[in-house]
Amino acid sequence: MDRRAFLRNLGVITGAGTVSMVLGNISVRAFSKSFLNVQSVNGKVIVILQLSGGNDGLNTIIPIEDSLYYNARPSLRIAKADAIKLNNLTGMHPSLMPLKSLFDDGKVAIVQNVGYDSPDRSHFRSTDIWLSASDSNVVVDDGWVGRYLANVLPDHNNFNTDHPMAIQIGSTQSALLECTCQGTMGISFESPNQFYQLINGSIADNDPPPNTIAGNQLKYIKEIAALSIRYAEVIKEKADSVQNMATYPDTRLGRQLAIVAELIAGGLETPVYLTSIGGFDTHANQAGSHSNLLTGVSEAIAAFQADLELLRVADRVVLMTFSEFGRRVNQNSSGGTDHGTAAPLFVIGRNVYGGLYGSNPDLSDLDNSGDIKFKYDFRQIYATLLTSQLGMPADRMPDVLPRSFETLPLISDRNFLQGSPGSFQLEQNYPNPFNPSTSINYTVRVPAALKLEIYSAAGDRVTTLINEYKEAGSYSVRFDGSKYPSGVYFATMESGAVRQTIKMVLIK
Amino acid sequence: MKSGNNLNKISVWDEAAARHILSRSLFGYNKQDVEFALSITLDEFVDNYLLADQPEPPQPGAWVNDPTDDNTTENTRELIYWWYNLMMTQGYSIRERMVLFWHNHFVSEVSKVSLPQRMYWQNKLLRDFAMGNVRELTKTITIDPAMLIYLDGVRNRRGAPNENYARELMELFTLGIGNYTEQDIQEGARALTGWRVDGLTAYFTQDRFDNEFKTFFGETGNLNYIDVVNIIFNQPAAATFLCRELYHEFMHVAHDEVSIAAMAQILSENNFELKPVLSALLKSVMFHTDEVRGAKIKGPVELMVGAMRQFNVATPDYPYMRTVAAQTKQELFSPPNVSGWDGDKVWINTTTLPARNIFTDTVVNGRRPGGGDLTFQLNLVEYVRTFSSSEDAVQLIDDIAKIFLQFPLSENRKEYLLNTLLDGAEVYDWSTSDPQAEDRLKLFFKALMRLSEYQLS
Repeated sequence: MDRRAFLRNLGVITGAGTVSMVLGNISVRAFSKSFLNVQSVNGKVIVILQLSGGNDGLNTIIPIEDSLYYNARPSLRIAKADAIKLNNLTGMHPSLMPLKSLFDDGKVAIVQNVGYDSPDRSHFRSTDIWLSASDSNVVVDDGWVGRYLANVLPDHNNFNTDHPMAIQIGSTQSALLECTCQGTMGISFESPNQFYQLINGSIADNDPPPNTIAGNQLKYIKEIAALSIRYAEVIKEKADSVQNMATYPDTRLGRQLAIVAELIAGGLETPVYLTSIGGFDTHANQAGSHSNLLTGVSEAIAAFQADLELLRVADRVVLMTFSEFGRRVNQNSSGGTDHGTAAPLFVIGRNVYGGLYGSNPDLSDLDNSGDIKFKYDFRQIYATLLTSQLGMPADRMPDVLPRSFETLPLISDRNFLQGSPGSFQLEQNYPNPFNPSTSINYTVRVPAALKLEIYSAAGDRVTTLINEYKEAGSYSVRFDGSKYPSGVYFATMESGAVRQTIKMVLIK
Repeated sequence: MKSGNNLNKISVWDEAAARHILSRSLFGYNKQDVEFALSITLDEFVDNYLLADQPEPPQPGAWVNDPTDDNTTENTRELIYWWYNLMMTQGYSIRERMVLFWHNHFVSEVSKVSLPQRMYWQNKLLRDFAMGNVRELTKTITIDPAMLIYLDGVRNRRGAPNENYARELMELFTLGIGNYTEQDIQEGARALTGWRVDGLTAYFTQDRFDNEFKTFFGETGNLNYIDVVNIIFNQPAAATFLCRELYHEFMHVAHDEVSIAAMAQILSENNFELKPVLSALLKSVMFHTDEVRGAKIKGPVELMVGAMRQFNVATPDYPYMRTVAAQTKQELFSPPNVSGWDGDKVWINTTTLPARNIFTDTVVNGRRPGGGDLTFQLNLVEYVRTFSSSEDAVQLIDDIAKIFLQFPLSENRKEYLLNTLLDGAEVYDWSTSDPQAEDRLKLFFKALMRLSEYQLS
């Protein structure tokens, strides 16, 4: 990053920041990230789980009292007695048993009949529609997550952040994380260790390519090279710093979610993760394969949720599933189901308001192909995650989605209250100078999500002392400097767009 | 694109043109290849070499004829190495490049097809038609055993249609989305009924065939699979769709509908024979413009086989190549789904790009990252001595770049490569007789092939 961009990020040029006077000589790395952080996500994370191939929604969430369902599925139907009852009319596939206790605890929201107008039954086109959040008749090349990261987060580009903006576990990168304005916003890898091994010894190349077709291809490759070099170390460090505390199934998805949990708990500030599992295109002999798929998904999710809670980061994370479409109501003659339309979708997390949203599909009112009509637009779910979970102001929706969408009350927002000027007060630490530890007192006047971080004089973040929602009150937290060398340190408290910083001196 | 629809033949057949055509129609090339191409005319090189019919290669093993051989792991491995070897040894023919193109077009995956024998026969079919008639290829692949299994054609029968093949036939293989209706899929599926597979053979069962009238693209009759393909190819979208794919394969991924339409005209005027349109394209002004050069991102197989051919490796390490193919996401006979590999930028991400770099390092080192020698060891001093500029460091870098890179090197990059090669020595001290020459050349080639430019074709 050049100096001008650096200064702009610090707020010197725009005048938006208050920190630059205090921290004039702090290096780019820490504070470009901090600047990014204040106006964006406050430690909140969304984990997207893509079920590729078109999950059979009707056999996932089952209308247990609907004779039309039983008639349409002579051999594939799930008997009422076998379904896991959610209420008088609705049940879950028995293979989703691992999610039952989460549902009972109110951590699973199930939104019924999610889809879009003029549904497309091509895997590829419909996947593109879901990833891009476009209308059915509009082709958009980038992803809604990529646009969120590029358009809504403030003046930055990929290379300014300490931690990657988005991570895909797996080594084929999705269009979800692309933005046509800035290129890829995320990185992908199979595992932190493998990633680190791959990158070791690479050198970045900063020659600007010419603005030609070939030059743009070259620019993309160079960006990927720079991204991978930049992030390999911090990812390995974060993954190595914690251990999973729950036992995951030994499946590809289980391993993916285990990595995500480690990275979140290890302190990586990446706000968006993408995971995926394939195999849902069940045209033939569906019963066994679909059951196995649902078992795999629900076991992995249950382990993930348990792990997040044991690792004490569950308040920050919401997981959403999606699939490019549901399947035809009538089963086909191969013991399977063909491509369909709307389907249920899961939103899972400790701050989720659990329960069923919307009623069972109306199987007496299908479209011309015999498919379910959608009731909730999938962009409503995205809009909800962006605003309620990631704290995006509602008026920024058109920067990410084709227009504004009505949100659903899926997620508790008590953790997303952001501070306003005067809503908290950070006091000077005592004692100061100190050796080896000191107390930092602060007062919260308006409940909010707060973060307190310590930086060295060189601008490296030393530790994060607080990153959670705090009720009003007076608090004290200790900073133990025994592991660190003598010198000047800064403690920065932030919430929403407000930040306060104190200077502390450690003398050994 | 500035050149627009310009399928006129280029007037100058020079080294730059030869390098570009070799880069796009083979899997890598070496110095001798450029010299050979320039020793004859452009017309001769394209029509008598690149597009000339080739003899049928020997089968990978007797197992391909035995449907009961269930040694699938070993047979799949053998099949992959066999194809790598054909790519290595194809000579001046575009055929294997086209077979890979068709493999990524008429996609099947060995995991669902279950017998690698069937993938061999599908591969042979794609090779038989590699530069042949697209419409006839489409008819034949429709009743290819691997395809019948892969897209559930074997489950498609009278009274119980399975639409899987009908949909992909129109969406991915011939017309593209938006050029057919849901009704065309349903009616087309009915016309495609009746086919089953026994072992390695497809056969028609009259009582599974929907022996009634169907209406497909407005034509009504007791249509069968031949009618379906003929009717599809009567749609103007068919020639356009296929030429768009060819354009992406040989030019670049940008859209240029004017040029694509001009190619489509050649294809349909020639009754869907491929050679005329390929010949015109490879000789055309639009193919040889500067901005097309270096504008394609190499696929993993192209990258790996290309590296072997650039260094004239006689005994490539196929097991290692297969390992890298998995890391870089192009396992032959196992495309990710029915739409095949996306290609282009999707090839390159923060995992696959480092894996490519480690591959080229490994080729130069002759040793796998975890230890263990490759099946070959390069002798780089001997290799660079095949260049007349071998003792002139600056010129040598230019000459080698012409084999390894399609994208012009900036002065900065040249200087970086020169510094790497000299490793602290003065430029006039460079000599391949220096005891350090082999080590310096190792550093140089690793740096060269780690350049982002090396990923471009």
